[in-house]
Amino acid sequence: METGKEELRIGVFVCHCGFNIGGVINVRAVVEYAKTLPNVVCAEEDLYMCSSAGLSLIKECIKKYNLNRVVVASCTPATHEPLFRKACEEAGLNKYLFEMANIREHSSWVHMHQPKEATEKAKDLIRMAVAKARYLEPLIEPLLEIKTSSLVIGGGIAGMTAAMSLARQGFDVHLVEKEAELGGMLRHLYKLQPTGRDASEILREAVTALKAHSNIHLHTSTVVQEVEGFFGNFDVTLQKKGSSELEQINVGTIIVATGAEDFKPAGMYGYNENENVMTQLELEQLLKKDALRKPKKVVMIQCVGAREKTGRTYCSRICCMVALNNALLLKKLYPDVEISIIFRDLQTYGEYEDFYREARESFINFIRYDSDKPPKVTSKPDGKLAVTVYDAYLGADIEIDSDLAVLSTPLVQHEDGRKLSSILKVPLGSDGFFFEAHPKLRPVDFSSEGIYVCGTAHGPKDVTESIAQALAAASKAAIPMAVGKIKADAVKASVDKDICVNCDACEVSCIFNAIEALPFGLPNVIEANCKGCGVCAAECPMGAMQLRHFKDQQIVAAIEALLKPKKLAGLGGSFEPIILCFACQWCSYAAADLAGVLRIQYPSNVRILRVPCSGRVDVLHVLKAFLNGADGVIVTGCLIGDCHYIDGNLKAKSRVDAMKKSLTALGVDPERLEIGFASSSEGQKFADMMKDFVEKIRRLGPNRLRVKEGGD
Amino acid sequence: MYRIVTKLELVSHINLFKFSAKEIAAKTKPGQFVILKVDERGERIPLTVAGVDVEKGTITVVCHEVGKTTKQLGSLNEGECIQDLLGPLGKRAEIRKFGTVLCVGGGVTVAPLHFQAKAFHEAGNMVIGVIGARTENQLILEDKMRKVCNELYVATDDGTRGYKGLDFLKDLFKERKIDRVVAAGPIVMMKTVSELTRPCGVPTIVNLIPTMVDGMGMCGACRVSVGGKTMFACVDGPDFDGHQVDFEELMARLKMYAPQEKLAFVFYEKGGRSL
Repeated sequence: METGKEELRIGVFVCHCGFNIGGVINVRAVVEYAKTLPNVVCAEEDLYMCSSAGLSLIKECIKKYNLNRVVVASCTPATHEPLFRKACEEAGLNKYLFEMANIREHSSWVHMHQPKEATEKAKDLIRMAVAKARYLEPLIEPLLEIKTSSLVIGGGIAGMTAAMSLARQGFDVHLVEKEAELGGMLRHLYKLQPTGRDASEILREAVTALKAHSNIHLHTSTVVQEVEGFFGNFDVTLQKKGSSELEQINVGTIIVATGAEDFKPAGMYGYNENENVMTQLELEQLLKKDALRKPKKVVMIQCVGAREKTGRTYCSRICCMVALNNALLLKKLYPDVEISIIFRDLQTYGEYEDFYREARESFINFIRYDSDKPPKVTSKPDGKLAVTVYDAYLGADIEIDSDLAVLSTPLVQHEDGRKLSSILKVPLGSDGFFFEAHPKLRPVDFSSEGIYVCGTAHGPKDVTESIAQALAAASKAAIPMAVGKIKADAVKASVDKDICVNCDACEVSCIFNAIEALPFGLPNVIEANCKGCGVCAAECPMGAMQLRHFKDQQIVAAIEALLKPKKLAGLGGSFEPIILCFACQWCSYAAADLAGVLRIQYPSNVRILRVPCSGRVDVLHVLKAFLNGADGVIVTGCLIGDCHYIDGNLKAKSRVDAMKKSLTALGVDPERLEIGFASSSEGQKFADMMKDFVEKIRRLGPNRLRVKEGGD
Repeated sequence: MYRIVTKLELVSHINLFKFSAKEIAAKTKPGQFVILKVDERGERIPLTVAGVDVEKGTITVVCHEVGKTTKQLGSLNEGECIQDLLGPLGKRAEIRKFGTVLCVGGGVTVAPLHFQAKAFHEAGNMVIGVIGARTENQLILEDKMRKVCNELYVATDDGTRGYKGLDFLKDLFKERKIDRVVAAGPIVMMKTVSELTRPCGVPTIVNLIPTMVDGMGMCGACRVSVGGKTMFACVDGPDFDGHQVDFEELMARLKMYAPQEKLAFVFYEKGGRSL
């Protein structure tokens, strides 16, 4: 709604970002242009709009010009939107009355050698932002009470540490362990590096402390069967193993500490065929039980089933240290044992380098092998082993006799971890481990609020690192519980009951059960469950269901603002395609940002419009774009399987497929509409996608509706 | 071609039409439906008949603008014609003296329900009417219903008028002896009513109009599972035992063409094009 009777007073603030924007884009010209846009009452520039001087300028102008909408044209909203919104709030303006135009990542950085085009694009992006700003509405973020109890899944060292930390901070903790005993992988380990302490000693201390603490509720032989609800109020169903007994608990936060298992290299190097071929973990257990027959010669092979070309491509990080540790233990037990470690690259980071040095001094042999020529292990008739390896330094095969071949295998995700990923609706990375929200900025968070990860569930790490990460996860979980309240996002679905026709499409489309249909068909949005993807709005045939802050009216305003002036201006001399790109805020928009950060240049014809999810893109938006003369429309979202909203991108895809068939009715070539997917790390792919699409549209020529009269 | 002799906007986006269709009017009884097609390339849509005037040779339907075809129909005026009108289709509702009959209707289906309620009343039943809508301004035909019901209850989803939701029916079933329930309207409503009557075993008839094509039992588009058996709503229904209907399946089937429906509507409404 162009909020009622109130006169619109929009302020536009254009940032130079030093030379980042100002070195390419003619900021002065852009500011002068912004002044000509309807309802814009002030347009200013600053060297750094995010500096305290820049922020003060915004606040002063809000007061001086009585602004009721603010548009900042600068960098990506992913980083500075909260800062500018806060400035608006401080000046008494609701923060949802703020809109951003990304003229750095999406213009000056990706069209560095085209100042003219970059400047024109900046104008377009600002015009779009101003148009959307006209229809912005003030929104209130509701405060939700949160349960001050936590569920920790996994009773290994990470889970126990996290649980203990939370309990000590005064929160109730439910610790769930699938085995009958606590300890996880720690139960199978022997001496821990670098201290050489007994794992069982550390385990005993941890378990005793845990059992003694009154805030800890222990659930052993138990698995998590179902999790419903949301951050601050999760309803969890626990199942006692081997029985149908179910228990319901209610928690505010969840920590995933389900660990990992060691990879069993079936069929590799005679494993399972010769009992003298074993994994490092199996050797460690024999040492722990003092059950190892004294070997004369031992060969250890590194990177077995790890750092592969496909599949387990990752380095398991701990295996080099484990091999050195076990080799040194063997040397201490049996000083005359001959040990050879066959490795690809020894990665003994930090103080672990001392182990390597010690191993060298203890006359342990190190032989490097190439992954293209892996060693071979053959069993001799007497049960002993012969290991053949191509030694790159000698340039020849060497054969080593051995009593034991110990295989260093990586940690891998287990079946229960994969199950939990779908129960919690949190992602696993390509390595199979739980995938954090951001490797640098949010290392123990999932993108779903209120769920955290630590320990080897997140990837291979040693006990020290697991403990450190567990403490980090506990701290993150403690913050909202200490405050007791969370501010919920105001971007939620809402229905206009006068337009709604009881068709139920919204309810069916919502994967988060955030919409229930009342008896006479009125949808009721359960705001606490709504995650703000806008899929329901795009499914609603009538436009009755809308997503606040991304309403049809707001999106269409931006689309029309981009295209209408261009349609009016006509084609001019040479044909330059106008491409509208819808980009999901989580992945493809971030990929476009990354393309900017990496300065990957792509054609300047593309105008990016941010949506919460590609699933929000409505057939109406695409139709409006073509009717108003867009030469091409590309909808972009997360990679299939990686949608932040589970399947929003699949819905977008089926919508685009259906839409393509209908475009011919408009006289628009279906080739002008495309869908693409890119993760936030695929800046190059995003740029390539845009390049290819622009080229394709260039070949197709202008959209007929742009040239001829008619349309909208 | 069938002429619109009367068009009346009951509430916003819900129109009452009287079509001149002498032969159909002569044969149609409560519970039956017609299939109409607006123009040559139009979609065929089933609509339950809301009344007949045998003398004048007209039939009444009430239509909610919920998509492209209904919107197109809503744009027509008195004196204009539609291409085709086929009917009466489906079985007649079982109308006789049961004792006390509870008629529940929601939204646009209050209109055909009125046709039935009137018949039940004329057959000597005590008729209790329940009419509802999402919100107050979507309620239709309250006065007409009042005339054929001994008692009338009003409910809305948002509570802007009468009872909020249908929970009040629980008490009604406890307090009153009801011999038969007839429900017509949104699937959720028919399901809710059927669940409410299941414990007390009151026969509950629901009126199902799923996606249809020919309406004469040939295509199978309208199949519904009733008591584990596949039935065709067009020829075996549209009335079925509410306690036997698989409503979940019905809801899923109704959503089958939702994307196409939306496309057609948006193109028609915002793009001025028929797909």
